[in-house]
Amino acid sequence: MAASSSSSAAAGGGGVGEYSFAAEYDGPPLPSYSLPRAIPLDLSRIPLASLSSPSASPPPLTASPLPVVRPLTPSSLCSAIHAHRAAGTSSSAAAGGGGGGGSGVAAGGGGGASAAVDSPTSVIENHHAALHHSAELPSTPSDDENADEALPSKAPVVTFAETSGSLLQSSEDGDENDNEEDEFDEEEYGDEALPVRSSGSLSPARWRGEAKSRGCFRCGKVGSFWARGDKESCLACGARYCAGCLLRAMGSMPEGRKCLDCIGRPVAESKRESLGRGSRVLRRLLSAPEVELVMRSERECVANQLRPEDVYVNGAKLSPEELVVLQGCQCPPSKLRPGFYWYDKVSGFWGKEGHKPHCIISANLNVGGALDQKASNGNTGILINGREITKSELQMLKLAGVQCAGKPHFWVNADGTYQEEGQKTVKGKIWDKPIVKLLSPVLSLPTPNKANNHCGEEPVHMVNRLIPDYLEQRTIQKLLLVGSGTSTILKQAKFLYKSKPFSVEECEDLRLIIQSNIYNYLGILLEGRERFEEEAISDRTTCQSDPSSSDQCEPELSNEVHEYSISPRLKAFSDWILKAMAIGNLEDIFPAASREYAPLVEELWKDSAIQATYKRRSELPFLPSAASYFLDKAVDISRTEYELSDMDILYADGITSSDGLASTDFSFPQLALDGRGFDEPDDPQDTLLRYQLIRINNKGLHENCKWLQMFDDVRLVIFCVAVSDYDEYYEDANGNVVNKMMESRQLFESIALHPIFEQMDFLLLLTKFDILDQKIGKSPLTSCDWFSDFTPLVSRNLINGTSKSSRGSSTGSTLAQMAGHYIAVKFKSLFQSFTERKLYVSYVNALDQESVRSAIRYGREIIKWEDEKPVFGSSETMYSEEPSSYSLT
Amino acid sequence: MASVVELKEKHAVATASVNSLRERLRQRRQMLLDTDVERYSKAQGRTPVSFNSTDLVCCRTLQGHSGKVYSLDWTPEKNWIVSASQDGRLIVWNALTSQKTHAIKLHCPWVMTCAFAPNGQSVACGGLDSACSIFNLNSQADRDGNIPVSRILTGHKGYVSSCQYVPDQETRLITSSGDQTCVLWDVTTGQRISIFGGEFPSGHTADVLSVSINSSNTNMFVSGSCDATVRLWDIRIASRAVRTYHGHEGDINSVKFFPDGQRFGTGSDDGTCRLFDMRTGHQLQVYSREPDRNDNELPTVTSIAFSISGRLLFAGYSNGDCYVWDTLLAEVVLNLGNLQNSHEGRISCLGLSSDGSALCTGSWDKNLKIWAFSGHRKIV
Repeated sequence: MAASSSSSAAAGGGGVGEYSFAAEYDGPPLPSYSLPRAIPLDLSRIPLASLSSPSASPPPLTASPLPVVRPLTPSSLCSAIHAHRAAGTSSSAAAGGGGGGGSGVAAGGGGGASAAVDSPTSVIENHHAALHHSAELPSTPSDDENADEALPSKAPVVTFAETSGSLLQSSEDGDENDNEEDEFDEEEYGDEALPVRSSGSLSPARWRGEAKSRGCFRCGKVGSFWARGDKESCLACGARYCAGCLLRAMGSMPEGRKCLDCIGRPVAESKRESLGRGSRVLRRLLSAPEVELVMRSERECVANQLRPEDVYVNGAKLSPEELVVLQGCQCPPSKLRPGFYWYDKVSGFWGKEGHKPHCIISANLNVGGALDQKASNGNTGILINGREITKSELQMLKLAGVQCAGKPHFWVNADGTYQEEGQKTVKGKIWDKPIVKLLSPVLSLPTPNKANNHCGEEPVHMVNRLIPDYLEQRTIQKLLLVGSGTSTILKQAKFLYKSKPFSVEECEDLRLIIQSNIYNYLGILLEGRERFEEEAISDRTTCQSDPSSSDQCEPELSNEVHEYSISPRLKAFSDWILKAMAIGNLEDIFPAASREYAPLVEELWKDSAIQATYKRRSELPFLPSAASYFLDKAVDISRTEYELSDMDILYADGITSSDGLASTDFSFPQLALDGRGFDEPDDPQDTLLRYQLIRINNKGLHENCKWLQMFDDVRLVIFCVAVSDYDEYYEDANGNVVNKMMESRQLFESIALHPIFEQMDFLLLLTKFDILDQKIGKSPLTSCDWFSDFTPLVSRNLINGTSKSSRGSSTGSTLAQMAGHYIAVKFKSLFQSFTERKLYVSYVNALDQESVRSAIRYGREIIKWEDEKPVFGSSETMYSEEPSSYSLT
Repeated sequence: MASVVELKEKHAVATASVNSLRERLRQRRQMLLDTDVERYSKAQGRTPVSFNSTDLVCCRTLQGHSGKVYSLDWTPEKNWIVSASQDGRLIVWNALTSQKTHAIKLHCPWVMTCAFAPNGQSVACGGLDSACSIFNLNSQADRDGNIPVSRILTGHKGYVSSCQYVPDQETRLITSSGDQTCVLWDVTTGQRISIFGGEFPSGHTADVLSVSINSSNTNMFVSGSCDATVRLWDIRIASRAVRTYHGHEGDINSVKFFPDGQRFGTGSDDGTCRLFDMRTGHQLQVYSREPDRNDNELPTVTSIAFSISGRLLFAGYSNGDCYVWDTLLAEVVLNLGNLQNSHEGRISCLGLSSDGSALCTGSWDKNLKIWAFSGHRKIV
């Protein structure tokens, strides 16, 4: 292997480091000669091609002399090299570099030290690279390791630049390169192309495409096979590789054809055209699906996208969001490249600065600065939307029959209607005459896209459009929803932000859940009935208090019809259900058997015994609160043709039958669907932000929260607590009775303390106030150990009085409200005690859409505050003190 | 209501006696464990495997995921690897060219496991959506280049933590889940054939995190769980676990059958790997690393794999280490985490190619790396 031999040589060099090539000078002192030394590079002293004024462009119309960067020719390259060497500084060499759009050419260091450079940054880079490459590119790791071991000890060893002959040679055989450069130049300045000015950010960080142009960058092989189709070059640095080295040099190509060192770097602008276009050599080396995937990642990966800071619209640099808006609109400008553009927001005209319109894109995009009058460098005196139009536009206006005498100022809308400035009446439509559309191409003027016509004035809806993957990852904000009652909130969010909240399958799933749950509830009722019946019987026996006669009593009692007894037929059915429940295969039977048993269920439900049991449902601890809602319509539900209502969906227990993770994507609509303008965002970036509400089931979260690590990219954790849990208990697997509120608290602690969420913001949602309100009078909040110091200021007569509306005399708030605040404070101080951060709290009634909407908006605000925190510093305290939304009524 | 109280009391008493019996069992087992593999091999005069730091080298880096890699699996025949990542993608790699051959966007991005079918034509994956999705690699991709799901296996009530095809049976798949059960599926119909654990008393009492099927007797498989036990199951008898193996003191993250099918290895949150004998139920060896000098928490074992001969045990740790243990002498032969080009994050999964020539590791640093023996092998 060539690689290993050369690297072993390098290692050998390290080994003989004790020898020195130059003996130390020990002759008489030489006072007058200053030693030549490399002057450290001062970036500020390097003359750069300065940014020219916006009106300038390659075909210059103004006479002012502009600093033009021209591509290096072989001769200029040589002279640059010589100048470089003569001067001993690198500044003059840099003057020739920094070519437009990365086409600037320089011989990079091939194998030896680099001599000529194309941009100041690459001076450093190339020196670095030279050092690196003198020890050969990474070949086998073992070789590499040797080399690396050798490197530190080898530091004083001088690496000699190759002879200038080889450099000259490399510049001589630049013929081929020049041809290629010419191609690029044609593209660059051709009709489609747009002016590209050189700026530091536009040129690639380093360009080594022309280094060793005859040979492979890695192995240096030159041969007859080194034909055009048998090589591939890196998109970022231009280094070329032969077919044999390509896969080693580029690895798995996560960003397409880039060498391993270049992964993450932007592509050279000259190569942008070839993004995603496969080459012969790749097709030879890889299978078709592999090539396709490489090309896909090449097109779609973030690093290869146009950088927003390189695109100027109306003189203002684009922000990433603006670029997304621009590229994501219905008629985006084709082949957008770095450069300076003007954009007419009203009509959608788009062009490069100093030029007539190039195309018509979607109007009303909120990108870039304000349109300048001189944007297209017209001299006709006629203004369209504040821009002085060019001669060819004027010609077209005349063709369209627009009166242009007296240098009028027009307003042209996206649909082509135009009116004179200061006048209300629409004078006509520019595109109405067919001749305009016919002749526009002749004058190389754009005509509106068809899609543009019907998008009209209405704002672009970002919601329904597909956003490319690389953007999606950048713009999605994940909200993790955990705690109790989360499924209802997620379902509400779906109702709120989705045009079609639940798919057919989801509805079917939910229907099955509800139907099988109804049997569960019935089972619980039947269990209760048996218990009540037993109680009734034992009551009666104790009443009779005659143990001797009990034998005779029994049959008599069973015949006796009392409140909780049911007919034998129903009894059999009930026994069967109870048995199924005990074995645990109730779900296997139901709801599959619903149709068969619907009449029985109806009969059972209407039976007075069941109704009597149902009346005592407060004594059945395992009956969920939602059960009464469904039991009330048990007969409907057990029918096969049962259709879900929205309320049924909300009340249903869970979202999917597996009750696993569920998530919904949404973005805040620009105009709320109900026309209230409730969610109108105040800035354009907001429309791009998509939110993902992820609901995880806390049953699956154990104390170590193992898979919570998967959610390290969420922005906000929304923790839900049902305030009515304070006096509710359940039995865990070990038979211990646990207070639900204490359990919530424990879950909250383990999540808030999870290392993944170390810097995470938490929003606490307190739900089920309605239930709290109902029962706080009967069951004091202090029944939960954690809340033992709850001592609200309530006038005495109210405590003794009815619980219906216990209104605190001093504060004017109800006892439930005070309890809610108290619980919130409890959680806040708990959170503060172990994270030293603030806990955001909001109150929600999950069944009320508006209340959920405001809670989600509050979540969005929190994320925004966090984003702005570094800017505003301590100002967030003024927000977080009070919850933004009150849904208590 | 007196009866309920009575029952509860009885239950408590029974629980206590079960616990005391368990403790006695543990003590008894401890007593019987008079030796382990290490002592025996030393007595036999075996010398440890020696590895130079350059003997195992990273010869490929598979870059392309944009999220943590959670799971990987090799094809039994071709040199293909499927990997699952938190970016919501399954990627099928050609290990020879290190190129992607398929990229599958998942409906639910929280994927925890993936597996190749024995014929290499389809892949299965599962995660927090509590379902196992099957993708046929030959099916036509849609406009965006995504391969549609060919079947979704639903029925688990918790996340799917691990899945593995029954070797030589394209249609059988075993999954383990956070609902404390393992399930044998018929992939063609999407039906559950049997459920292991759950309502039956001998099942796991916490989330099952890993399964491994015995390659020499495909009717047997083991499952490792958060209850710190491993259970051996017979596919034909779903009602009870054949045997339960105790010993670990933390969640068992990974189980792998030893190549001979008579033993299996485990990797756990307690920072140790252990080797158990399947038939006797005894723990044969503990592979535990010395505690950190800095007195930090012991890194947990995330994933394990055996070499083809069984002499080497590869164990990935949560701190990014990847130890190569000599199974006989319980010595660390090499730490891949200290080598050139090693991962920068936690090693989350690892697997050996079917011919044993290469090891693939997946990490939270978003990359997969393929390691191969370079002693006298030429690396392409």
